[in-house]
Amino acid sequence: MLHVKNLTASIGGTPILNGLDLDVGSGEVHAIMGPNGSGKSTFAHALAGRDGYEIAGTATLDGVDLLDMEPEARAAAGVFVGFQYPVEIPGVNNMYFLRTALNSVRRARGETEIGARDFLSIAQEAMDLVEMKEGFLYRAVNAGFSGGEKKRNEILQMAVMEPLLAVLDETDSGLDIDALRIVASGVNALRGPERSMIVITHYQRLLDYIKPDFVHVLVDGRIVKSGDHTLALHLEDHGYADFVNHDLDDAPERPLSGATR
Amino acid sequence: MIAGLTYPTRRDEAWRYAPHDVLRQLLFGPSVESTRLLPAALEANIPVLEGPRIVLVNGIVDAERSDLSALPAGLRLSTFDDARSEQPELLAAHLENNDDPTVAPFTALNVAFGRNGAVIQVASGHAIDMPVQVIDIALPEATTNTSCTGVVIHLEEGASATVVETKIGHGDFGGSNTRTTITLGDQASLTHIVLQDVAPTQVHLGRIEVTQGVGSVLRSHLFNLGGRYGRVDYDVRLDGEGALVELTGLYFGRGNQILDQQVTVVHTAPDCTSRQSFRGILDDESTGVFNGGIDVRPGADGTDAEQSNDNLLLSDRAEANTQPRLEILADQVACKHGATVGQLDGAALYYLRTRGIPEADARRLLIRGFADQAVDTVNDEILRTWITERLQHHDG
Repeated sequence: MLHVKNLTASIGGTPILNGLDLDVGSGEVHAIMGPNGSGKSTFAHALAGRDGYEIAGTATLDGVDLLDMEPEARAAAGVFVGFQYPVEIPGVNNMYFLRTALNSVRRARGETEIGARDFLSIAQEAMDLVEMKEGFLYRAVNAGFSGGEKKRNEILQMAVMEPLLAVLDETDSGLDIDALRIVASGVNALRGPERSMIVITHYQRLLDYIKPDFVHVLVDGRIVKSGDHTLALHLEDHGYADFVNHDLDDAPERPLSGATR
Repeated sequence: MIAGLTYPTRRDEAWRYAPHDVLRQLLFGPSVESTRLLPAALEANIPVLEGPRIVLVNGIVDAERSDLSALPAGLRLSTFDDARSEQPELLAAHLENNDDPTVAPFTALNVAFGRNGAVIQVASGHAIDMPVQVIDIALPEATTNTSCTGVVIHLEEGASATVVETKIGHGDFGGSNTRTTITLGDQASLTHIVLQDVAPTQVHLGRIEVTQGVGSVLRSHLFNLGGRYGRVDYDVRLDGEGALVELTGLYFGRGNQILDQQVTVVHTAPDCTSRQSFRGILDDESTGVFNGGIDVRPGADGTDAEQSNDNLLLSDRAEANTQPRLEILADQVACKHGATVGQLDGAALYYLRTRGIPEADARRLLIRGFADQAVDTVNDEILRTWITERLQHHDG
C-alpha cells in the first residue's frame, strides 16, 4: 500500500521532515503522534501535494509514485487528506462541490460520471454516517460552519470519495466530546480491508475511539518510535519529553511488525 | 451637442476612470431606425422569459418583438408614444430633468433625444407575478451611434412587481444611453434587475433614479458585464419613513473593459435602511470602479446604512478602484462601509485540488462562487437560472 522512504521536506531551506520512513499496509490504521512542530501536518500535506516544499525521498501508493503528481492526480490515485483547518469557500454549494470532486476523480480514472439524482443518494448515505442534516448539503462549503461541523464535513467528503489512503490531520482538534464521538464513529465505519488510514493527532484521546493498529512517534521530522496502541497510553502518561531528548529507553518495547523499521 | 453641455473630464470625480477618448466618439441625435437586420447572434441573446415586454432597437420600439397582450390586472405597460396621450403626467415627470447637466451630461442628452421607451405602472394594491421586461438593443448607425431610451416605473401604494431591464447590443462602436426613473408609493415593493451586456466594443451609459415612499422596498440587482465602458449610476432617494433599499451589483470585466458603478443613496426620511453590496471580478487589463455614496440628510434620524465592495483580481494588470463617500448630518445613525481587493484564495484552490478537482476547474469554481454571492440575492429561481446562464459565457 503506502511506502514512504527517506522523505525529507523543507520550506525556504528550513528542514521540517528529516528522512521519514513509514509503511502502511492495506486495511491498517496507523496513528502518528508528536509534539507541536514535529512535522505531522507537513507530512500530511507532503502526501497531498501542497506547493512550497522542497521534497526528496519517495512515497508510493500501490507502487505509484505520488511525489511528482499534482494534488488532483493524487486524489485520483486514491489519496485523501482531511484538513486540520478545512478551508471556507463562500458561494460554492457543498453538494455541488462534493459531486464535482467525485466526478473529477471518476473522470481522471476513466469511469463514468454520476448524475445529480444518483449522487444525492450517495451523499445521503454519507451524511447519515456523520449525523448531518440534509440542509448541510445546500450550504456553502465550510462557510460559517462550527469547528465540529467542519470536521464532520471532512469525514463526509472522505465517505463520498472512498479513498485508498486517508490521512486525517488532527481531526480531533477543536472537537467537543459529542463531535469527537460522531467523527470517530464515521471514521470507524469507513475502515475496511481495502482502505489504509493515517490518523495524525496530538492527544491520545482520539485513539480511545479509533483504535490504531500501530502508533508512531514523530519528533524533529523523523519517526523515532513505533509500537502498538499501548505506546499512545505511555505518551499520555509521560508526554513527549523522553523522545524529544532522543532517549527512548523509557518507552515500552513492543513488536513492530508492519511499522517503520 | 446641446448648448452649454460639455463632456466630462478626468477632473470630474464621477468620470475619473471613464475612457474619455471613447466617449468623444459617441454621436447623439434623434433616434434612427436601424437599417440592418438583427444579427443572429444578437437574436439568440434576447432573453426568453415568459411575460410582457417592450423591445427597443436603436431607441425605437420594435412592435414585432414586443408583447403587450394579456397584461395581468393592475399592470399598465405602454410605450412612450401611447403614454404621451394616456399617462402624460408620468411621462412629464420622467422628462423633467432636475440633474445639473454639468454633473450628468449624458442624462441631459437622454432627456433631449430619448423620445421612446417603456412606462410601467402598477395600480394600488396589485401584485404582478410575472416579470415585466424592457429590452434595449443597440444596433448603431453611423449617423447617430448611441441610442437614448427611457424606462418609467411607477408603483402605486401597496403595489408590487418585478422589472427586468436588459441592455444588449451589436457592432464595433456606439452603444446605448438609458435612463430609468422609479417612483415607489407607500408600502410598494419592487424587484429590479438590470443586465448590461452590450458588445465588448460598445459603450453603455445607464442611470437609475429612484424615489421611495413610506415603508416601500426596492431590491435592485445589477449585472454589469458588457461594453468597452459599461456604466450604471444609481441615485436613490429615501423620502418616506421606514423605506428599504437593497442595491446588489456584480461586475465582471475582461480585456480592456471599464465597468463603472456610481451609486448615491440619499436618506431624507427617518428610520430608513439602505444596503449597497457590489462585487467585482476583474481579469486581463480590465478596470472596475465603485464610487458609493451614503448621504444622510438632517432629520433622517435612525438611518441604518451599509455599503460593501469586494473585488477579485484575476490578473496583475487588472485594477479595482473603490471610493466610499459618506456624509452624515443626522442623529442616531448606524453607518458601515468596507471594501476588499483580493486574488483567488490559494488555500481554497489547494483544498479543491486535494479533492481531485483540476486546477482550471477549481479556479472556475471559486470565481463562480464569488459571483454567486451576488446572483443568490435574486430570490426568483427562474430569474436566477437565467442570470447564471448569461454569466456562463463570461466565466470562460
